[in-house]
Amino acid sequence: MTVAEKQPVPAAISVRNLDFYYGANHALKNISIDFPQGQVTGMIGPSGCGKSTLLRVLNRMYDLYPGQRATGEVIFDGCNILGPRVNLNVLRARVGMVFQKPTPFPMSIYDNIAFGVRLHERLDRAAMDARVEDVLRRVALWPEVRDRLRDSASALSGGQQQRLCIARTIATRPEVVLLDEPTSALDPVSTARIEELLDELKADFTIAIVTHNLQQAARCADQVAFFYMGEVVEVDSADRMFTAPRENRTQDYITGRFG
Amino acid sequence: MAGRDNVAQAAIAPCASGRWQGNSLSDMRRRMVDRVATGLCWAATVLVLLMLFSILFVLVRNGVGGLRWVTFVHVTLPPGQGGGLANAIAGSLIQTGLAVLIGAPVGLLVGIYLAEFTATDGRFINLVRFVSDLLLSAPSILVGLFIYMIVVVPTGHFSGMAGALALSMLVVPVVVRTTEDMLRLVPLSMREAAIALGAPRWRVILFVCLRAARDGVATGILLALARVSGETAPLLFTSLGNMNWSVSPTAPMASLPVTIYQYAGAAYEDWTALAWTGALLITAGILMINITVRLGLGRNRK
Repeated sequence: MTVAEKQPVPAAISVRNLDFYYGANHALKNISIDFPQGQVTGMIGPSGCGKSTLLRVLNRMYDLYPGQRATGEVIFDGCNILGPRVNLNVLRARVGMVFQKPTPFPMSIYDNIAFGVRLHERLDRAAMDARVEDVLRRVALWPEVRDRLRDSASALSGGQQQRLCIARTIATRPEVVLLDEPTSALDPVSTARIEELLDELKADFTIAIVTHNLQQAARCADQVAFFYMGEVVEVDSADRMFTAPRENRTQDYITGRFG
Repeated sequence: MAGRDNVAQAAIAPCASGRWQGNSLSDMRRRMVDRVATGLCWAATVLVLLMLFSILFVLVRNGVGGLRWVTFVHVTLPPGQGGGLANAIAGSLIQTGLAVLIGAPVGLLVGIYLAEFTATDGRFINLVRFVSDLLLSAPSILVGLFIYMIVVVPTGHFSGMAGALALSMLVVPVVVRTTEDMLRLVPLSMREAAIALGAPRWRVILFVCLRAARDGVATGILLALARVSGETAPLLFTSLGNMNWSVSPTAPMASLPVTIYQYAGAAYEDWTALAWTGALLITAGILMINITVRLGLGRNRK
């Protein structure tokens, strides 16, 4: 641990006293956590502990479902995004999300990326071509698809599809990228490529990643948060979390004694 | 190592002895039940195929003689003077075409509503679905009577438009059902992915969901077309039929099913022959629609 890393980094998103309910089920209990700018925050914990729920609060995905509600504060760019006057489409463009299962849209590779961009920007043909090429290069998919941009995206392999989904998400130039177990449906080689990708992306984006793979959290994350039963038990740098956790429950989880 | 050798040997050893042979009594019973059930399945399949092919055979045998040029270019004439089915063919094409043009958009919109706006009041959605399903199984003659009451009586005359409206009421529930079912097959994760990009609801539905369900929705519309192209009862009180050439939607209009209905029961041989030909034409048309659907789905599956 170097001195430089101990300098406080401003938070891209600050969660304060967040409670979340699925109907009567109290899923997140008084959560407070910061997502430092330009860093990868790994979220670990047993299934059903609330990690994915927190992700879905950060872009207000839960709004789609009646009966789900959040109280507390989530400060993003000086504004409480849980407030009533937030434009959800703008919020979701600024806080992008990648899901567990690759979900290419039923259209061409090119249009998969252009779809999101067209929602928020008016680009001419050349600018759109450049944007598509740029993001495909960033996810290292360009050499594989440059000759078949007009082909259906569903013909790609699972790992390629997931990289396409990441490209699609960063194409709208978000500030934060949320990833919900992005590699759990992928083989080890594809997983490794996505992990390398995360390392490059954090130069431009703040990243929050939910993972069941503790090695992945250790490899990718700067900061790790351990969730248990709807609470954040511990937040610390990845180094400290996996070598000297402060809490017994964290120790038990990362050594495989439960979960 | 020894253990692994044993496993290998057991796999090679003949399976006729020891624990490979089950309880022979229950074994025999199982085999018998299997044979009986398989036999019944075969018998039922053969029965259905026999019925289908006997219908097709009789249709072709009696109808193929009427497949002459004059049948397609000449209108229906009084008995003994020859004539064709041109007015009935044109009338059927116009009325089923109009019915799909009117009914499919309505059915599409209702189907989208049922599948995509699930967050609204569930009781209302269920009510709409229930009514649509009722319409799906409603006797088609009632639909004809309904249009008779609200279109034919106020306007004072039968018309092709009234016939098209009656048929469109049968198109709507078919399209509603298939559209809803096909949209429900689109995974929730795809909707969420589009919404997570900041896409408004209408764009998600139009450009992602409907696009994913495109083939299925198109199939539903074609099936609705196939269904109404053979309907007779809704046309009896609405477009009535017309012995002369008429393509005006405001005048009574001929159609293949109604002409078949009128001609099949007639005592004149040339009329019954034309009725057979008309039936053959409808059947061939429906068959073609179904083959199109099959080809479309097959392409999709690849």
